[in-house]
Amino acid sequence: MSTDKTPPDLDPVIHAQARLRVVATLNVLAEGDEMAFGSMKELLGMTAGNLSVHLTKLEEAGYVRITKTHKGRTPVTFVALTRRGRLAFEEYTKQIRALLDNAGLDNAGGVT
Amino acid sequence: MVDDDRTADPEEMLRVMEEQRAATTKWLYGDPLLLYTPWGVAWLLGFTAFFLHYGLDDRSYAPISQMQALTVLMCAQLVAAAIAAFGIVRMNNLVRGDSTARGAMYGYAWMAGMILMVVICLRMGPLLPPDETGLLWAGTSLLVVGVLHMAGGALWLNWPMFFIGAWVAAVDAVGVLLGAGWHALLTAVLLGGGFVVAGVWLRRRPA
Repeated sequence: MSTDKTPPDLDPVIHAQARLRVVATLNVLAEGDEMAFGSMKELLGMTAGNLSVHLTKLEEAGYVRITKTHKGRTPVTFVALTRRGRLAFEEYTKQIRALLDNAGLDNAGGVT
Repeated sequence: MVDDDRTADPEEMLRVMEEQRAATTKWLYGDPLLLYTPWGVAWLLGFTAFFLHYGLDDRSYAPISQMQALTVLMCAQLVAAAIAAFGIVRMNNLVRGDSTARGAMYGYAWMAGMILMVVICLRMGPLLPPDETGLLWAGTSLLVVGVLHMAGGALWLNWPMFFIGAWVAAVDAVGVLLGAGWHALLTAVLLGGGFVVAGVWLRRRPA
């Protein structure tokens, strides 16, 4: 409903609550690490289908790398944030903080 | 989830980001309460037993033999080690990559340190009077614990872990200088008690 309010500079791939949570989760991992899909699903409280949709969008943007492999006979999928994804998240965080700082200044000016 | 694609105001997004970061950190690295407190309890019990055996003026405060005190300490440490191993195995199933190798090397460093300590103590211990032998074992094992906590702090840029290691090293040094009875007392209270407090404090502190 408030999609139209998205300020033009904010990265639309990250500026959606579910994907923001996915990226914020992967950003905690050290560079060179990847998280099992099943673990992410559990941690984020999302269904497999739902998480897949968001991961596909992030992969299309080049923000995550998805590796399918096997552990014994069970297929396992691992997800990692790419360097590009890490930078995009950093940039997004900076912009959000800047927006909040500006808002704070405007309010302070308006009250007095 | 209905709200999946909802976008919100910056304040809300910042809050979501922070919450997710904190939740992930806690979920990945485990509960500090489970990491530190079991060791604290083990040392509190074990070294209190040793303290009662040694006493501060060469008289035992309770009829506990050195072997009995050692048994208490070892059993309690086994429980703490089992809890730590459970956490490590769990984390290995969640994440793979460079940090798996980092953790494995760190684990081997612990093993090497402990084996070397045992070798030194087995060789040197018989040359000393019984109280000093006990002090040799306790002092060298805490040397490994202190130094490897400090190294772990460096490895993961974890300041609390680094300072906990420095604290262990400092208490160990003072205790060894003062003798077996004092070493047992200081280890029980300041390290045993200290690890219990550290576990509780790190858990209550926002991640």
